[in-house]
Amino acid sequence: MVGTHKTSHEEAANDRVMFGFWVYLMTDLLMFAVLFAVYAVLHSNTLDGPTGRDIFSLPLVLAETLILLTSSFTCGIGMIAARAGSKKQVLSWFGITFLLGLSFLGLELHEFSELIHEGHTISTNAFFSSFFTLVGTHGLHIFSGLLWMAIILIYVSKRGLTSHMVRKLNLLSLFWHFLDIVWIFIFTVVYLRAFV
Amino acid sequence: MKTPYNTQSPKKGGHGTMLSYVVGFILSLIFTANAYYAVVSKSITGQALLVAILGFALLQMAVQIFFFLHLGRGPKPLYNVVFFVGTVGIILVVVLGSMFIMDNLHYNMTPAGVTKKLAQEESISQVGGEKTGACKTVGINYKVTINNGVIIPNSIKARLCDTLTFISEDEGIHEIAFGPLPQNKDYAGQEVTARKGRSKTITLNQSGSFSFYDQLDPGITGQFIVNP
Repeated sequence: MVGTHKTSHEEAANDRVMFGFWVYLMTDLLMFAVLFAVYAVLHSNTLDGPTGRDIFSLPLVLAETLILLTSSFTCGIGMIAARAGSKKQVLSWFGITFLLGLSFLGLELHEFSELIHEGHTISTNAFFSSFFTLVGTHGLHIFSGLLWMAIILIYVSKRGLTSHMVRKLNLLSLFWHFLDIVWIFIFTVVYLRAFV
Repeated sequence: MKTPYNTQSPKKGGHGTMLSYVVGFILSLIFTANAYYAVVSKSITGQALLVAILGFALLQMAVQIFFFLHLGRGPKPLYNVVFFVGTVGIILVVVLGSMFIMDNLHYNMTPAGVTKKLAQEESISQVGGEKTGACKTVGINYKVTINNGVIIPNSIKARLCDTLTFISEDEGIHEIAFGPLPQNKDYAGQEVTARKGRSKTITLNQSGSFSFYDQLDPGITGQFIVNP
């Protein structure tokens, strides 16, 4: 009896935390929406400079998209393993997710450094300002997600898969899926749309 | 020590199964590939293509929200769903509203000619995605001197983005107008009043052949040709 009581109590706390995190995600989504609006308004103001069509590499962006999408999938499989209580599987699935996220970030930084190398910086014109702000903010989120993931994985490997850790992994997976959804819109609105 | 996570209660929390993740993943791949192929193949173009890729993005979002985030499958009451719908509403207002307002503002803003003139004076080469003809850098400077009612030199050949300086050695004012005689025009929005000791420089940002004369004394004339 005592056990069941504790479980339902824990579940209620879980739901509260989930809702709180969901509220955070939605406010974050609002911030991205504003950045998208800024990009939509400013993307044609290039001051005679090159437009997105001239500088974006679609195959690279497709690779980034597939990598992030796959990482979202492996993250979900990792969550199933977490709820099944398999520490080893959690470490390997989230390990794969981490590596995929890292390669996504690597490709993005490569793209940014190429652009900057060609003289297209955030202060070149309104188009690049809004581009670097929108895509860079997403990249920063990916970076903090990776940091968070690394910390949780170290905890799990040292202290085991406690209910506390499963809850954290659950929040992390929400965050990760959320970033994937935001990326779909960056992929569509920023990159694909430049070639329409 | 904390207890291992209770595996008895996963049904209630709105969690995904292996099947839901696999289905979500495959659908997402299909939508991504379709959107990418539609753009690369160029089988449809313009507005239809834009609508198509935005449609694929929205479908993929719906799929991921359902299969990855499991929205709506959590405990009742569905606060998460309510909050999500509210956020989407705000997003629609912010994004569509911004685009509508800025588009409308651009359309109704200062008349194009005035904007262009101001932009040229500030050497802004582009306004709202359109070229103004202003020069980013200026070329050679030519001088025209008005002395005793005679313009020297009388004819100048210049290139686009060179500059032309009017100097007056005479007492009084010379109001320079551009164009053939009865027309009283400015040059690309730039007006010239020449007085003694005060020169006036214009940027040659409009190509063609131009004659100019003194409005106060139409006998004083000259011309310049701007080659692109």
